[in-house]
Amino acid sequence: MLRSTPMKHVRLLVLTEDLPQASLALADLESFHPDPRPPQESRLVDAPGQAYREAYTQAHTRLEKIRKLIPITPRRGTEQVRVVELPELEALNAWLGVIWNEASEFEEELHRLDEQERLVREQQAALANFAHLNIDLGLLRNKTRFLNFYVGLVPRENLRQLEGAVSLADHILHVYMQEGEQAHVVIVGPTETKQGELSAVLEAAGFQNLPIPRELDRAPADLQHDLAVQRQEIERARAELQKRIAQWGTPLLARLRDARQTLILTEPLVTLDPSIRSAGHLAHLAGWVPARSVIRLRVRLEKALRHPFEMRVRRPSAAERPLVPTVPEKHWLLAPFALLVKQYGVPEYGEVDPTPLFAVTFVLMFGSMFGDFGQGAVIVFAAWQWRHKLGRFWPFGLLAGFSSMFFGILYGSFFGEEHLIPALWMNPLSDPLLMLRLAFGWGVLFLSLACLLAIYNRMAIGNWSGAIFGHHGVLNLVFYLALITGGLNVVQADGASGDATGMAAFGTMPLYLLSGSLAGLAWASWRKQQAPVGEKILVVFIETLETLIGYVSNTLSFLRVAAFSLNHVALSIAIFTLAGMMGTFGHILTIILGNLFVIVLEGGIVAIQVMRLQYYEGFSRYFSGNGHEFAPLRLRRDPK
Amino acid sequence: MPLIADHAYLNTRVSVMATRLFRSSEIATLMRLPLPALAERFGLNAILDEQLPIRVRSRAVEQSLIQVLLAELLILVRPMSPAERTLVLDWGSKYALFNLKTLIRGKLYALDQQEILDNLYELPEQMRLSDETKAGLFRAENVLELLRQLESGSHRALARQAREIYEKQREPFALEAAIDQRYYAGLLRQVMAFKDHHLDPLKRLIGAELDRINLMWLLRFRFSYLLSASETFYHLVPSRRLLTRERLFHLVNLETFAGVLAALPRPLDRLMSESPNLVEVQRRIGSYAAQEALWVLNRTDSAVARALAYLMLRERDLLLLFALVQGQLLALPEAAIEIAVELAEPSCLWSGSRAA
Repeated sequence: MLRSTPMKHVRLLVLTEDLPQASLALADLESFHPDPRPPQESRLVDAPGQAYREAYTQAHTRLEKIRKLIPITPRRGTEQVRVVELPELEALNAWLGVIWNEASEFEEELHRLDEQERLVREQQAALANFAHLNIDLGLLRNKTRFLNFYVGLVPRENLRQLEGAVSLADHILHVYMQEGEQAHVVIVGPTETKQGELSAVLEAAGFQNLPIPRELDRAPADLQHDLAVQRQEIERARAELQKRIAQWGTPLLARLRDARQTLILTEPLVTLDPSIRSAGHLAHLAGWVPARSVIRLRVRLEKALRHPFEMRVRRPSAAERPLVPTVPEKHWLLAPFALLVKQYGVPEYGEVDPTPLFAVTFVLMFGSMFGDFGQGAVIVFAAWQWRHKLGRFWPFGLLAGFSSMFFGILYGSFFGEEHLIPALWMNPLSDPLLMLRLAFGWGVLFLSLACLLAIYNRMAIGNWSGAIFGHHGVLNLVFYLALITGGLNVVQADGASGDATGMAAFGTMPLYLLSGSLAGLAWASWRKQQAPVGEKILVVFIETLETLIGYVSNTLSFLRVAAFSLNHVALSIAIFTLAGMMGTFGHILTIILGNLFVIVLEGGIVAIQVMRLQYYEGFSRYFSGNGHEFAPLRLRRDPK
Repeated sequence: MPLIADHAYLNTRVSVMATRLFRSSEIATLMRLPLPALAERFGLNAILDEQLPIRVRSRAVEQSLIQVLLAELLILVRPMSPAERTLVLDWGSKYALFNLKTLIRGKLYALDQQEILDNLYELPEQMRLSDETKAGLFRAENVLELLRQLESGSHRALARQAREIYEKQREPFALEAAIDQRYYAGLLRQVMAFKDHHLDPLKRLIGAELDRINLMWLLRFRFSYLLSASETFYHLVPSRRLLTRERLFHLVNLETFAGVLAALPRPLDRLMSESPNLVEVQRRIGSYAAQEALWVLNRTDSAVARALAYLMLRERDLLLLFALVQGQLLALPEAAIEIAVELAEPSCLWSGSRAA
């Protein structure tokens, strides 16, 4: 359960014409993780799927763009898996090209309507503004005998430069309104002088003509009404266009659905494409397959391929380990814990998957720190009640709640009331020292286990030197256990006689082991350094000291397990003390609110603290998290 | 003291990097080096792969040199404040705009997707168009669709204007001119937003660059493309240094090439006097801008201005190196390479000192 799913490297040699069948078979099996490394044979250099991929990419893009105009719902029922050959894909792409050409005209029409609407809006705003201009606006509509008028919009950013440019063409520019990114301007100049010149400038500046409405002498309300009617007409035109689009699209729907399905069937080969190399008619593809699926893969390929093929299967070499994907934990109960582990990293192939261990230790620590039967039941109820919203995460709440209930029975705690149910074991506050001793012991066990896993992980990949001399390796573990044993000897001797002190109390064997392991660590560190002697001495001294301090502080870090169990009881006492000062209603209310406060706040803090212990004291010792997840080639069964 | 302490790291970094700039004697040496030696010295192994076509090798070299420049840019922006970083990154974003122009041209001339892709620069994440934008633009099947895509992004105003121009003119000049104009206007706006001791050196640096750009555009638009005075003026970005708005107003109205050069403010009039053609003007104004950048690099205490000046000079050096390599790849005679080096935009330092 702790070990990665064994994987095999599979190398396939198939005829290029069989590639679509091979890709479909591999996708159908959902057990082939492509290996994009080029083959060792230097002749296998061509990329046979390039034309296929290009046709797919363009067809897919076109279909997606068409879908914005015609919503294509997925077809109901199971689709038959079939091979899509390049000519079929190219024909589909060409057809989609034709359809997209038609669709893009509709799209342009929609854009034009948007643009018209924007201009009418600007006109409405301008008209409101014209009321403040003290000139005859009717004159702005046409050329006069001597003057030329341009009324329109220009991006504000271009305004200053345009002002200079029009003055060079003997015109003047007046800004009568600025709104958003646009400025409303009137440009006036003499007729028949440099008109062509001005037009070029206006085009370069993005000038948009705003036609002055006729009959400006009418009441502004009438004009506004006309503009409102124009907007309604645009809206009608838009609705009409949508109807035309729907009419145009309806007969195409069935074929577009087919196109979608065809493209889904081509996806496996397109996904595989970067991993395929070929020479002539021979194509090479490689990937990682779970060992248990290799036989099924061979059988499936034998059935699917029309021509002979070669399939070589081997174990991954030590050097390839970082490339081998790790099959993720799928058990529903462990799924939320796997998610939390993934926040730290994916186990490297061969490395112990910490998920089960993480789940067990997390649940145990959470329960021991937050032991209350009633509050645990609330957590269980909440997790069950909101299981749909919590998704895969709800078993996390369920297990944490059950653990809390279990420890609540041991502690005899029910919604903070310590006397309502008899403690199966004892109330934490009745013997805090025992709780602290137990937490200390748990810390020693946890850290030793973490070291053992670190040693195993290194041995699994043949890193013997790392397993013995590396961080949290054998020497570290020996040192740590010797330190703990010696420390316990000192404490016991102190308790027994009171006069046995120092080295004698520590014990000869622990002392030898401690000195020996420290010397070994110092030696390994010395050998690793590439520096002058003085610097080496300094680094070795600091590293050795860090090992000593690190292990002591890491062990003491576990005292928080006891501290929180005590804290939980203390908080409950505080709540009941407060409640005791109130009347009946206040008493009940304080107990309810207090319990809610404890569940939300303390529950959250305990979860964070346990996570911290797992990540920093556990994972950092034995879990690299440098792996990558198994992502097999698969068919999109449920299209979006 | 606070000024120095503020950017001690950046100043040191710029000073260390500045030792990489080519000295005049070094350029003469480089011109005599064969391709393998150039490849070894600058890590341009792509040029030695004779299996590849010359175009591909040349492209790979250009790409590597740009990577060098942008990698140095990213190192320099790390210790900067957000405003400083934005300015320097925006200066480097010209390469993203090159990509945008390539995409537009590619769609306009209906080029093959692979060909467009081959001509795009690989840029660091901080400068490139977002993957989503790039994919959207790339998927567009014509210029109008591409401009519609752009309208939905940060280039909204530009794209709307460009689409209107394109619908009328169907050619990329006005669009590319608008992109360039907005780029330089944006840089100037950012410089003017600085209030402290960075303002003057930055104004001098960007001012010199804008003077260079304005003079080249003015001469090109007026006398090569034969645009009107008003249209030419519209496309320019007045600098706050020599070629100010008023000065440009006067210059665009002049009718002859020599007349414009004679009417330039000091010291440009002296530097440009009797330049026979646009190419010579380009060489001389390029070296003037480089001298100004060198002044900012060596004589000012604004770390951000010094960093930007270094990057501008470094870009110039790398373009010179690219011209050298390309000349050799095309097996041009030495004399032609020398001419090419002198003509490469911007021109080399020694030609600058000669011009000065």
